[in-house]
Amino acid sequence: MFQKILIANRGEIALRIQRACRELGIPSVAVHSTADADAMHVRLADESVCIGPPPAKDSYLNIPAILSAALVTGAEAIHPGYGFLSENAGFAEMVEAHGLTFIGPAPEHIRMMGDKIAAKEAMAKLGVPLVPGSDGVVPDLAAARDVAARIGYPALIKASAGGGGRGMKVARDASELEDAFRIARTEARAAFSNDAVYIEKYLDHPRHIELQVLADGHGNVVHFGERDCSLQRRHQKLLEEAGSPALSTARRDQLGATATAALAKIGYRNAGTLEFLYQDGQFAFIEMNTRLQVEHPVTEMVCGVDLVREQIRIAAGAPLGYGQGDIRFTGHAIECRINAEDPATFMPTPGRVTAFHAPGGLGVRVDSALYAGYFVPPYYDSMVAKLIVHASTRLDAINRLRRALEEFAVVGIQTTIPLHQRIVDDPEFQQGDYTIHWLERFVAR
Amino acid sequence: MTRIPFDPDAIRALAAVLAETGLSEIEIQEKDSRIRVVRAGVAPATVAVAPVALTATPATAVPIPAPDESSHPGAVTSPMVGVAYLSSEPGSPPFVTVGETVTAGQTLLLIEAMKTFNQIKAPKAGTVARILVANSTPVEYGEVLMILE
Repeated sequence: MFQKILIANRGEIALRIQRACRELGIPSVAVHSTADADAMHVRLADESVCIGPPPAKDSYLNIPAILSAALVTGAEAIHPGYGFLSENAGFAEMVEAHGLTFIGPAPEHIRMMGDKIAAKEAMAKLGVPLVPGSDGVVPDLAAARDVAARIGYPALIKASAGGGGRGMKVARDASELEDAFRIARTEARAAFSNDAVYIEKYLDHPRHIELQVLADGHGNVVHFGERDCSLQRRHQKLLEEAGSPALSTARRDQLGATATAALAKIGYRNAGTLEFLYQDGQFAFIEMNTRLQVEHPVTEMVCGVDLVREQIRIAAGAPLGYGQGDIRFTGHAIECRINAEDPATFMPTPGRVTAFHAPGGLGVRVDSALYAGYFVPPYYDSMVAKLIVHASTRLDAINRLRRALEEFAVVGIQTTIPLHQRIVDDPEFQQGDYTIHWLERFVAR
Repeated sequence: MTRIPFDPDAIRALAAVLAETGLSEIEIQEKDSRIRVVRAGVAPATVAVAPVALTATPATAVPIPAPDESSHPGAVTSPMVGVAYLSSEPGSPPFVTVGETVTAGQTLLLIEAMKTFNQIKAPKAGTVARILVANSTPVEYGEVLMILE
């Protein structure tokens, strides 16, 4: 087992990883920018190293600084969290080149799934269902017209180097294709330095359903069920549920079996999430995230698993020690992502938290690095807390969520807690009757 | 018996620093003299530092933790994470010593990160008032290395 782990991230996930390390008895190193010197995970750290000024590119994305910090502190492994360098195959390779362990999948799989076209091709060969679309890169407008005519409109033009909802443009009919195609490529070039695009059929009422998988280095692959992450605004998830209100156990088992078989064939290792669009009873693979996800807690509550601990154990070479048949799904869990934003305009509201009271009680979990007196810096993602509830049924979970949101006090900055309170009271949400377009319409009401 | 010269005022000053800061022990070496002052009845504090590689460089002044120095106008702060070296190689004299006058751009120390040695240069001309890092110790971004006045 590792003697020391460096946590290459910040905020609530750095705290999450630190907690898993502490429970495993592994000392951890917190790296931070100058803006995060007072962050909770730094205050609780066994050791901390300041790695740069506030901008992410000079700190949390600063590979030499992070590697240097690992070397001077004697860390044996690096956990990258989510975002930042977690899906940077080059970083994973450098970590290994320096004799350290990257707590995550092999660099080749990070690279494979980071190229969205290559990922789809790999999954198609392994029998995973896809969204109908182009066969790889669409090189020019003529090819785009051909593809769109074949699969039908509306068509979605997507950046091959994109992901996470970024770099996508819709053409509702043939007349919109030229503009959508050109703009998508321009945006892709600007955002990802790569203007390669592919095309998929645009699904107009899908749910976003993703599957949590875990694989050890000995060929064992399991899944921990699905999460429904359809509630999104501008492709950013706001609320997630485990399991999906739309899926039966049989459908989940079917999807799980296909996905785990595919990953076993490519020799995948550590945690990952396969994302699907689900419409009219059909699954369509869109992408795979080769890292821990923000919403992993809902899976942990339903399955009784510590996914970060499993990641560390696997990275240290341990076998899973259990099979698919040992995994049980109990009850229902919901997570609300709470952002430091105006709940109506979504304007970010960094600033000092003057009072903080987290909800508690049975089945309530808060993953947050906030504390009274903390200054939320303006340089990073606006998510400041995750409120997760778990109960025996979805209805009980919703009631628990309503109760917990009422108790949650964050004073000094604005948060999206009021928005979540409105969502929880909405009849369509309560019915589980929503698609990936639902939240945009809801906030526009 | 040879008379050992010592400076009682220095010892009193160090003792006062001990009392004021709550430390239990201070040791200073400069050229051939060394002073060590220990507060009676206090167990030696274990200082947690990252493993320090043994080198043959002359011992340098052990930094006395001072109030936050980063706001001092003459503070030279580290631009990177790495290991600080006060001379160009083990056994050679340090780049600068306390009291020395330096010119702008003069190399003050090295910071090594991943086998690359980076020269840290004086941002302006001045006198080295304090050296706050010991040889061969890890430094983080923003850490105050020296004070120039």
